[in-house]
Amino acid sequence: MKQTLISAVLLIMAVVLPLLVGENPYLIGILISVLMMATLSSAWNIVGGYAGQYSFGHAAYFGAGAYTTMIMLSVFNTNPLIGMAAGIAVACLIALITGSIVFRLRGHYFALASIAVAEIVRLTVLNLGFTGGAQGILLTDVAFFGLDMNSKNPFYYGMLFSLALTLAITAYIHKSKTGYYLQAIREDQDAAASLGINLSFYKNKALMISAALTSVVGSIYAVYIRFIDTTAVLDLRMSIEIILTAIIGGVGTLWGPVLGAVLLVPLAEALRSNLLGSVMFKYGIVSETSPVGIFLKDGLAHAHVLVYGIITVLCILYLPKGILGFFRRGK
Amino acid sequence: MAPPSLTRIHPMLFLQSLISGLLTGGVYALAGIGMSLVFGVMNVSNFAHGDLMMLGMYMAYFAFTLLQIDPYLSLVLIMPVAFVFGYLLEKILINRVIHHPHQNQILLTIGLGLIMSNSALLAFTSDPRILTTTYSSSSFNILQDISVSIPLLLSFLITCGITAVLYLFLARSRTGMALRATSQNREAAQLMGINVSRMSAIAFGIGTALAATAGALIAPTYYIHPLAGHSFLLKSFTICVLGGLGSVIGATVGGLIIGVVEAMSSTYLSSDWKDVVVFALFLAVLLFRPQGLFGKKGGQ
Amino acid sequence: MTRHLLDIDHVSKHFGGNVAVSDACFSVEEKQIFGLIGPNGAGKTTLFNCITGYFPLTSGQIVFNGSRINNRRPDEICRLGMARTWQRVKPLCNLTVLENVMVGAFATTNATRTAETMARQQLQAVGLVEYADKPAGSLPIGLKKKLELARVMATRPKMLLLDEICGGLNHTETASILDIIRTLRNGGMTIVFIEHDMKAVTSICDRIVVLNSGEKLAEGTPEQITSNPDVIAAYLGGGHHAQD
Repeated sequence: MKQTLISAVLLIMAVVLPLLVGENPYLIGILISVLMMATLSSAWNIVGGYAGQYSFGHAAYFGAGAYTTMIMLSVFNTNPLIGMAAGIAVACLIALITGSIVFRLRGHYFALASIAVAEIVRLTVLNLGFTGGAQGILLTDVAFFGLDMNSKNPFYYGMLFSLALTLAITAYIHKSKTGYYLQAIREDQDAAASLGINLSFYKNKALMISAALTSVVGSIYAVYIRFIDTTAVLDLRMSIEIILTAIIGGVGTLWGPVLGAVLLVPLAEALRSNLLGSVMFKYGIVSETSPVGIFLKDGLAHAHVLVYGIITVLCILYLPKGILGFFRRGK
Repeated sequence: MAPPSLTRIHPMLFLQSLISGLLTGGVYALAGIGMSLVFGVMNVSNFAHGDLMMLGMYMAYFAFTLLQIDPYLSLVLIMPVAFVFGYLLEKILINRVIHHPHQNQILLTIGLGLIMSNSALLAFTSDPRILTTTYSSSSFNILQDISVSIPLLLSFLITCGITAVLYLFLARSRTGMALRATSQNREAAQLMGINVSRMSAIAFGIGTALAATAGALIAPTYYIHPLAGHSFLLKSFTICVLGGLGSVIGATVGGLIIGVVEAMSSTYLSSDWKDVVVFALFLAVLLFRPQGLFGKKGGQ
Repeated sequence: MTRHLLDIDHVSKHFGGNVAVSDACFSVEEKQIFGLIGPNGAGKTTLFNCITGYFPLTSGQIVFNGSRINNRRPDEICRLGMARTWQRVKPLCNLTVLENVMVGAFATTNATRTAETMARQQLQAVGLVEYADKPAGSLPIGLKKKLELARVMATRPKMLLLDEICGGLNHTETASILDIIRTLRNGGMTIVFIEHDMKAVTSICDRIVVLNSGEKLAEGTPEQITSNPDVIAAYLGGGHHAQD
């Protein structure tokens, strides 16, 4: 099968990439961010793109994974994998509760409810004591099967594994009864029900799978950065970024979210790290201390979100099915 | 500060919270009405609503610091400018997604909101501004112990005035009745000869004007910064859902209720948890009465 | 002795103050083609939606194949063997014609291969084989109706509820669909038919119930119904012809 062959080749390339890139922590860091965003968007895609249920509060599952893992590691000193398993359990619980409230609603109500749930989770974590409140949680030491946890490589492979897992699950669903049912739900819920599809069961199934995969990424992130707080892992901004990445690449396609991440993450990084500014300073085009220079240095760092906003608006207006979606239907 | 013991509820404390809550609730109601109108006429969730409020805050701030116009007087400028801005925004951008699925509409308005808040960040920096007028901290006492903040009272009175004018406009004027017809049944309104796309633009213009006005009214009592709108966004949605999507009366009542709920939670629980209470109330409404208090459409 | 497959027992549906269906009573026998007719707004589609689980009943009960089905979910009712089509067709637009029918086929199997085989059989039966890989949304209305029929047949129902399946079709398309329906009945299917087209109804139905303003106006064979003065009055009064 052509798809499987291409996927296998890509996987092999991704596995050897760190070796080719060499000891460049900055670049590996960016690759990790790309993989992370790709996985998060692909996981969201299962419930958003396939089932058509746009969860606007997916950060809740990311945060659930991150916080549960952090707490298990820093307080109970467990193995990171156990922390991850606990994170999945918490995320699935939140998903079940969310689903039971939210899936009987339609249209606006559904989107708003998903945000409300995520905000309740965020505010609760912010106000509880054992979650570190506004200060967050800091992890000092991590042991994982003797690997060097100060290097970035283990995390690169961890994220790559979760992406591969997410894509494999998506591809499997795509061809299975569940996949057909989810897409039927997306296209027309009433018709789907009339064909024997238990709407609530399948929506919840998609959400739980999506939540579990999202929380896995959160767990890896927590151990990678060693510090989390609600702004980093439970913010509405993250939920929106996940959706944007999927939309721009192509919602409901297998590789769309990956494409979105590959395009957007380096772009954001270029803006955030002020690539343009550094280049202009380096070649003396602009002086660092001039007003323009100061604007480039301080102001443009915020520009990446502005650019996100502009890209979103353009995408919705002109490319609503995303890049892959546009080529897929040939329209 | 420990919350007061509930076994001895001071009636004065209760009344104080109630009054502050109602006064703030009035401004919330204004924001809610603007959003509800857009829901009713256009069936669009405007996620840029909070950022429109933020723009109103900054307009009031600059009118005061640069032109020395009192924030309440600057409304005379702010309302028409905001109306035109909203009208154009709808005609040029939002109109294109009226027949698109809900999630696309939401994402478009989110994108617009991001553009607005981040442009503000670039232009005004993230340093919070404070708008202090001579009467910002003035208050007077009623019933011996209850202090009423003058800015809050003024905002409330202005809100009442604007709401009354809006009600009259919707009830008596031709455009107002056309708006209400479009809100009840867009297709039927179109068949009756109403230019529904113009109605959408007008509704969005009014919604924007009300949001900006709400922003300008709270400006003297809040920190003004580019991300200030976000906390009002979800609150406005809660008010709309509580009152019933599309119902102006509902949004009015909803705003007052939310103002009071917030004030009470702040007093009797803690100000950290007040937002949680509001969102929990939001979910409860969605669960048990999705059409809200005065809702016309049932849960879609 | 033929048994009743569907019993509508004093069913009423109110929407607030509006009475859409009032005290409807009739039964459908196995292997019957049963017609449900009436002027616009008579409550036919509302009754269908009540039977198939989209509206909760205000009162009364519905028994299908021996089980009470009022207040069951639509998907449960489908799995019990009652399938329906829609007055305004509901194709799953972004899926292909074949994929649409496969969704129906999955009601009785979990395997994708099996579903595909079953789906292709259904496409054969309605004559849509050459459209298998086209997006469902791109079909003209006549073919969309056939697709809906194929899709619903793939769920292997005991009884079919057809809501104005001839609506919007020309004479050739209508004749084609009626042929398919006759073939289905000859194969043992029970069919309940909402229709406007009196010619279609009288030519194919074994028994007819007439609704008017939510109430049952008449019940009987096609001959009895077309000669019933109340029926004629209801149709003429509502601006409709009683028969072609």
